[in-house]
Amino acid sequence: MPAAKSSLETRKPSVDLSVRIGPMTLANPVLTASGTFGYGDEYAHVMDVARLGGVITKTVTLEPRVGNAPVRIAETPSGMLNSIGLENVGLRRFISEKLPKLRSLGATVVASVGGETPRELERLLEALGPESGIAGFEINFSCPNVSKGGARYWAVPRRLEKTMRRLRPLTRTALIAKLSPDVTSVGDLAIACEQGGADAVTAVNTFVGMAIDLDPLRPKLNRTTGGLSGPSIKPLALARCHECARAVGVPVIGSGGIMNGRDALEFLAVGASAIQVGTVSFIRPRGAIEVLDEMTAFLAERGVKRLEDWRGGLLGNGESSSERRRKAGAGRGKE
Amino acid sequence: MSRTEAAMKKGPPSDWSQVVARVAKHRDYGAGHLWLDLEVPRSFHRPVPGQFVQLLLRAPAPVLLPRPMSIAAVSERGNRRVLGFLYGPVGIGTQALAQHAPGDVLEVLGPLGNGYPLDVPGTPVLVAGGRGVAPLLFAAEVLGRDDRRCEFFFGARNKAALVGLDDAHRQLDRHGGRLHLATDDGSKGMRGTVVDLLERAASRLPQPLVLHACGPHGMLEAVGKWAMRRGSPAFLAMESVMACGTGVCRGCPMPRSASNQARYLATRGDTPSLYGNAEYAMCCTEGPVFSAEDLDWERVD
Repeated sequence: MPAAKSSLETRKPSVDLSVRIGPMTLANPVLTASGTFGYGDEYAHVMDVARLGGVITKTVTLEPRVGNAPVRIAETPSGMLNSIGLENVGLRRFISEKLPKLRSLGATVVASVGGETPRELERLLEALGPESGIAGFEINFSCPNVSKGGARYWAVPRRLEKTMRRLRPLTRTALIAKLSPDVTSVGDLAIACEQGGADAVTAVNTFVGMAIDLDPLRPKLNRTTGGLSGPSIKPLALARCHECARAVGVPVIGSGGIMNGRDALEFLAVGASAIQVGTVSFIRPRGAIEVLDEMTAFLAERGVKRLEDWRGGLLGNGESSSERRRKAGAGRGKE
Repeated sequence: MSRTEAAMKKGPPSDWSQVVARVAKHRDYGAGHLWLDLEVPRSFHRPVPGQFVQLLLRAPAPVLLPRPMSIAAVSERGNRRVLGFLYGPVGIGTQALAQHAPGDVLEVLGPLGNGYPLDVPGTPVLVAGGRGVAPLLFAAEVLGRDDRRCEFFFGARNKAALVGLDDAHRQLDRHGGRLHLATDDGSKGMRGTVVDLLERAASRLPQPLVLHACGPHGMLEAVGKWAMRRGSPAFLAMESVMACGTGVCRGCPMPRSASNQARYLATRGDTPSLYGNAEYAMCCTEGPVFSAEDLDWERVD
């Protein structure tokens, strides 16, 4: 097993992959999507998680949640639906049990937090703020599988902006807003988060979907609908990532159906600063590392020295993302 | 100590790996079923009866997720391990698997979950329903190697659906043990269910009985309730839709019984979160073999 002390040769990529997300610097743009990588330690025996850009934890809530009744999973063509319902160990056990393990793995940790109200999110940040070893927070504004505080509740620009304004003073670490794609304009949500002080937005969480059994006739999932992920959503997610990258100046983290290094490079090309891999980790536990290695090999083969030179190549208008950002400020992207 | 407590004390599973496997043999097993032998490296941890693997087809494949499959046999061949599987090509994934010929490769992740606690003292009573016979063929072999005689109860709709009957015969002939057969239509063995058969034969078997069962959930519920009524331990291999098989996705919850919930709450500090929470156990990490008394049968799907 590649331990933390593997040789410098294998750890130092020939391509500069480093990424800045607000105050946080990642060694590379590959993050694990919340809810697909547990609390970081479950796969530690098959991969060196410290090699990843970062680990985004399963969303933690103030109280433990037992999750939704079965059936929680349904496979769909080139994808899967999940309706887990934010099952998690709760804040107390996260601090006492999970964070120490995560710290010991040497990974860059982004804690995903979820709440039913802005006040709950404040309390989570207040409690986790003093904890060492957290490089940033991703606010889960987009869970499709809970009755309160889910994607629909948070898909209101004004609410997002006001909430981000309340959270911003509570931490000096990176603050990332994870957005739902099931809205008229995810770009508008991204702008609201940026104006509220977010360091980055993640585009996107899963898409609400349904699957039906015909005999007997009933939804496959107990809660009727679930969140669709996997290769089937990649084109949808890519378009929304692109929309966000054009809409805001802060970094966008692309997510949705990334299964390999080439998929990751597509998101980076449309303006994502970093990416998240999710469903692939269910299929191949080493999926995130494989994405990183494939991506690196692709760039090295083409002589790309810095990820920054690849990034945003297809953002539009023939401008680099930074040029465009300078001109547009925090404003809306040109149509 | 209950099965669940034993599982909880063990800590999070970390002996699984994902390896490339080669099809060594793939043959018709009768009644619409197939037998598959996969060669894996010896580094693949040796599975025990009741454990399962995730079979992942190589791209292009018509399905995205791996297929959880119970292990029906394990043997060693030089520096390779051979895993045997008995399955019916009933869905898109297993139909695609059925197209694999010797020499083809796919990926295997495992071994996963907890197997049958065959060391619980008493007469091992193996109870199979239809293709649920797979892990029990493996269990009979392991018991036989330890010179332990088992009682093998095998039930199905009809004679044809008693898949693997010949192999069950062979295992029991080789290692000792008795086969008891039941079919719904009476075309082989006793007419009736496997529970009817248990009811009839139980008093004549060396007590105490320890049941290890696999089959459709309806049958497992009947076996479990029968065992609980007479105070016999029963260990049941449950099925669930799964994504990852390793506890990470939280996709395969099994509802805990009240007594199991109470025990869970008392030992929560020692229980890896991968095993679930007070309400649900994860089928993949805490199961797939559960003690009958640990599940809330009113809510089992």
